Amino acid sequence: MNHNILLLSSIFVPTLGSFILPLAGRLSMRLRNALALIFIATPLVCSLALLSSAFTGAPASVNQPLVLGFNFVFLADGLAAFMAFVSSLISTVVVFYSFGYISHYENQNEYYTMVVLFLGAMMGLVYSANLIWLYLFWEITAVASWRLIGFFREKVYVVRADKAFLVTAFGAFAMLIGFVMIYSQTGSFDLFTIKQALGVNALSVAAVGLILLGILSKSATLPFHTWLPDAGVAPSPVTALLHAAVLVKIGVYVFARLFIANFSLEAFWHVVVPVVAAVSMLVSASAALVETDLKRLIAYSTVSQIGFIFFGLSIGNPVAVAGGLLYIFMHGLAKGGLFLCAGIIEKNTKTKDITQMGGLITAMPITAISFLFCAFSVMGIPPFGGFFSKYLVFAGGIQSGHWWITTVFLFGAFVTILYLFRAFNLVFLGEPKIKNVKEGSVTMLISVALLAGFSLLAGIWISSSSAIVQKIVAQATGVNL
Amino acid sequence: MTDKILLLPIFLPLIAGLLVLVAPKGMRGIKEGVTLLATALNLTLAVVLFKQNFTLSLPWAGFGLDLVFRLYHFSAFILLATAGFGILIALYCCSFMREKKYLNQFYSYLLISIAFVNGAVLADHLVMMLFFWEGLLLTLFGMIAIGRPGAFKSAIKAFIIVGIADVCLMIGIALTGHLAQTLVISKIDLPLDILGSIAFLFLMVGAIAKAGSMPFHSWIPDAAVDAPLPFMAFLPAALEKLLGIYFLARISLDMFALTPGSWISTVLMVVGGATIILAVMMALIQKDYKRLLSYHAISQVGYMILGIGTAVPAGIVGGIFHMINHAMYKSGLFLSGGSVEKQTGTTDLEKLGGLAKKMPLTFICFFVTAASISGVPPFNGFFSKELVYDGALERGMIFYVVALLGSFFTAASFLKLGHAAYFGKLSKQNENVKEAPWTILVPMITIASLCIFFGVYNYWPLTRLIEPVLGEARLEGHHFGGFHVNMFLVVMTLVVLAAAVINHWFGIKKGGSGIKASDHIHYAPGLHPIYDRAEKRFFDPYDIGLNFMDLVSKIGCACDKAVDWIYNVFSVNVSLSLSDRIRRWHNGNYSTYLIWAMAGVIIAVTYLMSMR
Repeated sequence: MNHNILLLSSIFVPTLGSFILPLAGRLSMRLRNALALIFIATPLVCSLALLSSAFTGAPASVNQPLVLGFNFVFLADGLAAFMAFVSSLISTVVVFYSFGYISHYENQNEYYTMVVLFLGAMMGLVYSANLIWLYLFWEITAVASWRLIGFFREKVYVVRADKAFLVTAFGAFAMLIGFVMIYSQTGSFDLFTIKQALGVNALSVAAVGLILLGILSKSATLPFHTWLPDAGVAPSPVTALLHAAVLVKIGVYVFARLFIANFSLEAFWHVVVPVVAAVSMLVSASAALVETDLKRLIAYSTVSQIGFIFFGLSIGNPVAVAGGLLYIFMHGLAKGGLFLCAGIIEKNTKTKDITQMGGLITAMPITAISFLFCAFSVMGIPPFGGFFSKYLVFAGGIQSGHWWITTVFLFGAFVTILYLFRAFNLVFLGEPKIKNVKEGSVTMLISVALLAGFSLLAGIWISSSSAIVQKIVAQATGVNL
Repeated sequence: MTDKILLLPIFLPLIAGLLVLVAPKGMRGIKEGVTLLATALNLTLAVVLFKQNFTLSLPWAGFGLDLVFRLYHFSAFILLATAGFGILIALYCCSFMREKKYLNQFYSYLLISIAFVNGAVLADHLVMMLFFWEGLLLTLFGMIAIGRPGAFKSAIKAFIIVGIADVCLMIGIALTGHLAQTLVISKIDLPLDILGSIAFLFLMVGAIAKAGSMPFHSWIPDAAVDAPLPFMAFLPAALEKLLGIYFLARISLDMFALTPGSWISTVLMVVGGATIILAVMMALIQKDYKRLLSYHAISQVGYMILGIGTAVPAGIVGGIFHMINHAMYKSGLFLSGGSVEKQTGTTDLEKLGGLAKKMPLTFICFFVTAASISGVPPFNGFFSKELVYDGALERGMIFYVVALLGSFFTAASFLKLGHAAYFGKLSKQNENVKEAPWTILVPMITIASLCIFFGVYNYWPLTRLIEPVLGEARLEGHHFGGFHVNMFLVVMTLVVLAAAVINHWFGIKKGGSGIKASDHIHYAPGLHPIYDRAEKRFFDPYDIGLNFMDLVSKIGCACDKAVDWIYNVFSVNVSLSLSDRIRRWHNGNYSTYLIWAMAGVIIAVTYLMSMR
């Protein structure tokens, strides 16, 4: 019972609380900021508690039948609690960072409302065990991100926001049709009921394909990826939140929720999805090698790393699945850090073009070192956390016997090292081209240093996170690793 | 003694390193003290652990990834060598690094490197080894980056080259683990079938790249110029060679049974031979003390790889013996270079000369180590090279000839280096040069004495340190201690050394001074254009790779732009023109609308009727 309250509050405190923020903002800025942090931190604390209880006995769940078979179902199993923990951890850091970043811009009330609403919807999505609720929260995240991308209201920015919304909404409609097809096949939207009704049968190919359209468009995978680099016009904390940590992980999470934890895929999907991921990874990594806009570059890097995650989750091997889940965590921390560093750089140099920068390491040493640490983690260098996730994904890929796809990802790992160092080199080294650059504000520096430090600690204390991932895989697939 | 003691060689230097890193500015004495103390304790520990056998297994990251330690003769031997170099370099740095910036970072990286090398050597689990092995990238990067201004570029180059090789190693490890169904090194025993060979090649790439063999070498000459000098003596000359060749020996002896007939053995010998000859040719024409040495640091790896690649007992023993010998004399040579740099302020051979009188002890150390690397009896390099020759000759004349040719150029380039730096005319600005301080001399003298000891009493290292690595079965009854080498090989070596002296004499006659002694080879017809291109980095695999990546990324980027065009232009235009057409049908004419409505009703009714 106690845990059910935790579960509900982690969803409804931020979703409902977000609407109080504009009112609080009228009273006092400090009050609003404090409330926003509290609303974001609530799911963090709750999901941490849920994570510890998720593996003992029955996981917390809420089940309230409503009319027409749309029952109100939330479930906090290991996978959901893990994902909720990862996204709320990064969101908390991002909101803290925003206190420094956004304080000079207009429409702050809108900003905090949308960010908190976004996280609340994310929590709802993560804990939903009913396809319709999942779809509902999915679209709320789309609306919130649409508003956040176009936050600065310039015409081009609004068009970019529309693009992001249209692409992901197109995918979502396709996914909804897929859900309806599942309903016509099994007579329910409830994941548990569907699972029982299906038995050993597989889902129809058309339904899986349509759902995959939604997943790929939300997780910005080729050919639906171009909205993500374009969305770099958003405020930097938003890009960190959307691109790195939370929004793009929705797709991979739903993939894991549906096709790993609940339904089994037919064998050919275990080749098709990795191939799509591989192509997406290569194309976007190439683009990251050419790109000169810092935030676009990091966004392309995200697309490329999402390819690694999809590869791990979809190759059909439990070790690779574990690698993919660990990758979500490690990549979220490191990439969030990279975007926040980019935010400091962008704010203090007034440019995003890396060919205009150079020598910033002397002006902003803490940012530079945090950037480097996060980059090391993305590259997969020990003792940073990214090492373990990358190894597990590769080991799983090899165990599954798909040599060629694994080789392509090996090549992708080379390119990752190249483009991150290219960015570091152009931004921080060489002759300074911009005069009088200052280091970021204290809250911003604490945030980036925190994420860089987490990336390192996650690698050193790998035993705790890998133990959790191990239990999740055991719970979701029934395979004890 | 409990088996938990195996954690100490990792945690002791690591904690000391972190302490030094966070120590406040200005407390130089304390930083030096902590470093010396930690390296001294590490050495004591290595001595105590020597000849001991321990295994230790601790849970770690799940998924079969455990911390498995194994101390046995081979790892204890490398541990001891690492500790020895650690304390000598730390002592050397006490005066060498005195006026340098980023002192705390340097000491910290030094100590952490020792910790990581110890961890990688003690690991009996492939992923645990990779963890420490790849972690060395960070200290490598850091140590080069804190060199002279602009060293970051070399640091990035080093990181990318070694990092790419380490990713290959990661794949090799994953594949090996899959094939063997275990990741514990001492339990792996795989045949060299197709998949086994692929796994071996990936592991080999990691090993030889760490050792600095071609084609993963090109960061070393750049780092020689940019990084602080003790770094060169410490990582590329000593520790990375020890680690890389240690792992190469383990994969070819323990994990896979490398036989003389296998094509992998030929691959290794070809890589070794090519590395020997190509790198030494580049070394010959260098005009900078440190750059010249750095090319030799590449070339000598060739002998070790060639030796192990022969897969015959003499060759393997020679290869491993050469590894430890090389670590000593190359480290000693770099230290002598550092001594010269410290006292004269330059390593440019044009500006040096006549230093033998001013710095006699440095010169003697240089002489001993240079004679060792050139394979002059009775120094240690002679004995290990003879064993490698023995193995190479057994496998094929061509490998022997290449190795011998490499020796000729090695001797020639060291005659040139010694002549240019220590003899000839003393330049004006060097007139007041003094001998180096004792903290610099002690490490050099220690290393030079060891070179003599390992040469004259080669019985001890060969029978106590190296032969146990192979084991009785692999040795096939051979024993290599003492002066057991083939007289034909000895005569040939002496002939080649004599030829190098004659060549040097000829070069001086022609060029006029020591530094120009190799010009007749440098500017020889046929070689000259190749040398020119090599100096302009035409053949640098790193640059070639980057150009290739440039092309690949342009193609990939074009695909990306094409996809983006579909969204930004194509779909927008299609929907605009479509809505434009449809809009024209809305002409405000009631009769038209009525026809549309009727048509709709008819379609709907027909559909519903057909459903029945």
